[in-house]
Amino acid sequence: MIQRVLALVKMELLKLIREPANLFMNLLFPAVLTLVFGLAFGALGGGDGSLFDMMAPGLFAYACIFIIMTVSMSFTDDRENGLLKRINVTPTTSTQFIGSHIITNMLIAIIQLTIVFLLSLLMGYRPNVDVFGVIMAFIFMLFLSLCSVGLGLITATIAKSAGAASGLSFIFILPQMFFGTFIILPEGIRIISAFLPSYYVTDAITVIFGGGSPFAVGILIQLGIIALMGLVIVILGIFLFRKYGKV
Amino acid sequence: MNDKEEMLKLIDELKKDLSSKNKEIVGYLEKIEALEQEIMKLQKLMPVEPSKIKVIKEKPEDVFDLDGASAIIIKDLVKQFDDITAVNGINLEIKKGELFGLLGPNGAGKTTTINMLVGLLNPTEGTAVVGGYDIKRELSKIKEMIGVCPQEASVYKFLKGRENVELFGNLFEMDKNLLKERADKFFEASGLKEASNRKAKGYSGGMIRQLNLIIALINDPKIVFLDEPTVGMDPRARRKTWNFIGDLKQEDKTIILTTHYIEEAEALCDRVGIIDYGELIALGTPKELMKKHDATNLEEVFMKITGRRIMEGV
Repeated sequence: MIQRVLALVKMELLKLIREPANLFMNLLFPAVLTLVFGLAFGALGGGDGSLFDMMAPGLFAYACIFIIMTVSMSFTDDRENGLLKRINVTPTTSTQFIGSHIITNMLIAIIQLTIVFLLSLLMGYRPNVDVFGVIMAFIFMLFLSLCSVGLGLITATIAKSAGAASGLSFIFILPQMFFGTFIILPEGIRIISAFLPSYYVTDAITVIFGGGSPFAVGILIQLGIIALMGLVIVILGIFLFRKYGKV
Repeated sequence: MNDKEEMLKLIDELKKDLSSKNKEIVGYLEKIEALEQEIMKLQKLMPVEPSKIKVIKEKPEDVFDLDGASAIIIKDLVKQFDDITAVNGINLEIKKGELFGLLGPNGAGKTTTINMLVGLLNPTEGTAVVGGYDIKRELSKIKEMIGVCPQEASVYKFLKGRENVELFGNLFEMDKNLLKERADKFFEASGLKEASNRKAKGYSGGMIRQLNLIIALINDPKIVFLDEPTVGMDPRARRKTWNFIGDLKQEDKTIILTTHYIEEAEALCDRVGIIDYGELIALGTPKELMKKHDATNLEEVFMKITGRRIMEGV
């Protein structure tokens, strides 16, 4: 089983490196976004940096949200090229196959967080956090990547082609970007945030990087919520894709 | 004017009238003949009603009479997609070590049959045993012993040829050294040795199909399903692939080959099953079928049974 999962993870990581679109969406885009926001609102850009300090935790989530697009495109592309069928006639189970995608995207989330974190520091961001806080932030990001894989699978179920998947993925990307990260919402529509995984991640990382305890009850409750959301979404994604995804 | 003259005048008029009527009749006759020829032409193009085709079915009671010599036994296999019956009650037994050809026009039900045997589709009715395991209950066991070369050239284009083969070898949990040994052997035999370290993105269509075939064989499967393996290949590459498939027979593998190329079936197959409209309409060795239907090739056999050419499709 391990041999199969490792082979699939290796293949997905090679796809990340060798496919320019994947490389851009997963690694270059978060980096460019951090640099742009850092220059515009950070201390390096001439301001007092307080605005960028507020934005930075949301930027960590931003990067991870775009996993929805790459996962949905990857699945639809593989389906269009008959590769899902081909894997389906090997002894690989769907759990091993989806599991390899989850592991790959968790690894990508770790790389993304590292890139965005280091670039944010370069742009003048100074979080008040210890090593446990950083580890907790990584754990939150891993669960957000799990949600993104699940939402990517749901998108791939609906989309007929990789092109359609890239467009449809914005159904899940945009609400999370605008209602679940650093944009301050009017009171009336703030309730929407409660349904968005990115809200819990941004909120928890803001508190942790602002000097709050990573083991505070509020943080642990948010961790529980995002973990539950991740599991439910990914199970739903697997179910829908297996049933209606036309593998 | 006397009576005689009047009579002659009347006769002349009648003659003229008759002549013009004759011309009219001849015109109609010519039109009818032309229409008859047109109808005959159209009849040749029209598919024969499935109900008029004589369906050959092996006796269901013989099927499942396992004597250890059968690699695949298919019993009353049916696949329905909404109103369309893609496979309609196929019964068939394929012996171990046999190179069996499923021949039929595009859309006849060959790929659907294969897809049910390898677990990509669930049968609507009936069942099959592949390598001694039931396709409905023991699919995981079947998947460990089969190799499938799909009709679409399904390879990861961003991976190198060798990386593609290694990926699928690892999905079968092959030993690393054995995997390398078999990959080297196949790359050498297929002429892809030099290209094996290049990304598949740069391969020609023929090379991709060769790679497709190598992936299907890397796990040393006991039963190999080759779904139209030479579609899109030039004649030289096709011949090379035929030799490659022929060599597999020496390894005592059971091979199920679907094709709509007559010459492919005649050159390679020990036995052939002809499928049309989802039904098995003929079964036997190519020679037996040609003798039985007084035909010089399998195309003629198909034409004599269905009234159509294989390439016309269903």
